[in-house]
Amino acid sequence: MTTLNQSADAGAWREPTPPSSKLRWLLLSVSALLLAILLLCGALAVRFLAQIHSQELAVTRALAERTHALSGLWLSIQSYNQAVQQFVAQTAADREAARRHLDQLTLEIDSDFDNYPTVRDSEEDALLAGMRRLFSQQRTLYITILESPQAERRREAETMLAQRLGPVQKQILDWSGKLQAWNGERVQQADHAMAADFTNLQGSLSRVLAIGFGSGLLLVVGSMAYIARLDRQTRARYVELARSQHALQQLSARLVDAQETERRAISRELHDEVGQALGALLVDIGRLSTVLSSDHPEVKAQLDNVKAVAERTFQSVRNMALLLRPSMLDDLGLAAALEWQGREVSRRSEIEVSVESEDVPEDLPDEYKICIYRLVQEALNNAVRHSGAANARVVVERPGKSIVVRVTDDGRGFDPARSRGMGILGMEERVKRLGGTLRVESQPGKGTTVTAELPYPPEGGTNA
Amino acid sequence: MKTIRVLLADDHTLIRAGLRMVVDAEEDLTVVGEANDGREAVAMAEKLKPDVVVMDIGMPSLNGIEAARQIHAALPDTQIVMLSMHSDEGYVLRALKAGAKAYLLKDSAEADLARAIRAAAAGKSFFSPAVGQVLLQDYMRTLRRTGAEDSYELLSPREREILQLVAEGKSSKEVANLLSLSVYTVETHRARVMQKLNLRGIPELILYAVRKGIIS
Repeated sequence: MTTLNQSADAGAWREPTPPSSKLRWLLLSVSALLLAILLLCGALAVRFLAQIHSQELAVTRALAERTHALSGLWLSIQSYNQAVQQFVAQTAADREAARRHLDQLTLEIDSDFDNYPTVRDSEEDALLAGMRRLFSQQRTLYITILESPQAERRREAETMLAQRLGPVQKQILDWSGKLQAWNGERVQQADHAMAADFTNLQGSLSRVLAIGFGSGLLLVVGSMAYIARLDRQTRARYVELARSQHALQQLSARLVDAQETERRAISRELHDEVGQALGALLVDIGRLSTVLSSDHPEVKAQLDNVKAVAERTFQSVRNMALLLRPSMLDDLGLAAALEWQGREVSRRSEIEVSVESEDVPEDLPDEYKICIYRLVQEALNNAVRHSGAANARVVVERPGKSIVVRVTDDGRGFDPARSRGMGILGMEERVKRLGGTLRVESQPGKGTTVTAELPYPPEGGTNA
Repeated sequence: MKTIRVLLADDHTLIRAGLRMVVDAEEDLTVVGEANDGREAVAMAEKLKPDVVVMDIGMPSLNGIEAARQIHAALPDTQIVMLSMHSDEGYVLRALKAGAKAYLLKDSAEADLARAIRAAAAGKSFFSPAVGQVLLQDYMRTLRRTGAEDSYELLSPREREILQLVAEGKSSKEVANLLSLSVYTVETHRARVMQKLNLRGIPELILYAVRKGIIS
C-alpha cells in the first residue's frame, strides 16, 4: 500500500466537454427575434401616436388661426364700411380728418389680409384673392364717390351705396362665409386622413402582434420539447450514474476482497510450503551437523554456513508471510494481533506505539477483524512514513452498538483536505464496505487522528 | 531411567519427520503418536496420555494455543512444549496462559528440542534463547522511551530468588522446601513480587523472568 497524491497521476481525470446542441441556439435566436418584434411594435405604436397627436394639434391651431384672422378681417371691413357711410354724411370741414381715417382703415385691412396664415393651398389662396379683389372693387367705388364733387355726391351717394355697394358688400360676406366653410371642410378632411392612418396602424400592429404571438407559441412549444428532452436525458444519466456508482462500489469491494484472498493464499503458500520446507531443512542440517561435528570439522563449518543462509531465508519468508496475512489474527485473535502490530512498529521505527485493546471484541466476523487490522496497519505505516511522531496510540472501544477504532499520533500532521493518499482511500473503502465511516482529522503541526466507526455486525454472522 | 513419552502435533509432514528423528535419537525419549492438526492432537492426547506434547502454534481446524488449553484442562500432568515461528511476547504470553511449559522457535528447534522436552517433563520452564533476547529488547526499548524505572531494582534479593524459582515452574511448597521457609511466607513474597512488577498471574511472571534473562 503506497501513499500517492492523486493529482500528480498521469491518468488524471479530465473534465469532458459536453456536446453542443443546435436546438439550444435555435431557441435562443427565436427568443431574441420575438423580443425584437415586441420592441419594434411598441416603438412603432408610440411613434405613430405621437405623430397623430402633433397632427391634430397643428390642424386645431390652423383652424383657430384662420378663424381668428377671418373674424378680424370681417370686423375691419365692417368698420371701414361704417366709416365710409359716416364720411358721406359729413360736412366738408371734417373731410381731411375722415379721409385720413379711411386711409388708415384701408391699411389695417391690408395688414389683416397679409396676416392671414401664410401656409395655405391654392383653393384657399383663390378664396382669399377673391375677397381681396372684391374689397378693392368696393374701395374703388368709394374712392369714386369720394372724389366726386360734394353736391353730386350727396345726390348720388344714396343710390350708389344702395345700388352698387350693397351687392359688393354682400359678396364679400359670402366669400368670407365660403372661406370659413372651406376651413371647416379642411378640418374634416384632416380628421378622415388621421382615421385612415389609425386604421393602417391598427392593421400593421395586428400583423406584427400575430407574428409575435406565432413565434412566441413556437418558442414555448420548442422550449417544452427541449426541456422534456433534457429531462429525459438527465433522468437516464442519473440512473446510469447510480448504476455505475453501485457497480464501482461493488468492484472496489471485490478488489479489496480479492486482494485479501490473494494475500492470504500467497501467505499460506509461503508459510506452508516454503517456510515448512526450510524448517525441515534446518532440522536436518542441525542433525547432520551434530552427527558430523566430531569427525569432519571442515564439513561442519560449511554446514554452519548453509544453516545460516537457510535461517536468513526462513526469517525473510516468515516476515513476508506475516506482512501479507498476519497469522496471529488466526492464531491469537484481534487484540493480540493489534498489540503485535504496535510492538512491530515500535521495533522498526522511532515511534513508540501503545495499544489499548482490552475492549476488542474477539467474536467478530473475519472481515471485521481484517478491516480493523489493516486500518491500524495503514494508519501506523502512514505515521511512520510521514508524521515524524514520537508516540502513537491505538484505541479500540465499543460505545453502544458500534466499534470505534482510533489511531492518534503526535507528529507534524497535514491538511486532509488537500492530500488524500491512496492509503486513506483504501481505508475508507474497507470501512465503507462494512457500513462504517472514516474520519481523518489533522492539522499541520497538530498531529493526526484517524477514526473509524463500524456498526456492530449482525447477530449470527460471526465465524470467530 | 523412565522414558518420556512424546506426542508430536504439527500439520507439516516434513517438520514432523524432522522432529521425530530428533526425538528418536535420544534414548530417554520416545514418540508415541503424531497428530496432523489441533483437534487430532487433543483427541490423541486424551487417548495416549503422553508425558509431553510438542505442538505447533499455527495449525488448521484448531490452533496450537486452543489445543494446548484443552489438553492442559483435561490432562494437568501432561506438559506442553510450544513450537512457533514467532518470538513476539503476544505469542509467548498466550502460550504460557494456555498452559505451555516450554516455548521453542522453529528455526532452533532441533538444537533445543530434547532439552525443552526434558525440562517440561520435569515441570520446568524452557525458552529458546532468542525469545529471551527479543523480549528483553522490547522491554529495554519501552523503558528507554517511556523513561520508566526498571522495576527489577525494586525487588529484594529474597524476592528475586523466589521470582526465579516460581518462574522455573516450582510450586510454592517446593520453593518453601528449597529455601527452608514456610509456604505462607513464600506466598506473601510471591504476592509482593507480583505487585511490585505489576504482573497479573504466573504466565506474566514467567514472561517477565524470560525477558530479564532470569530463566531461559
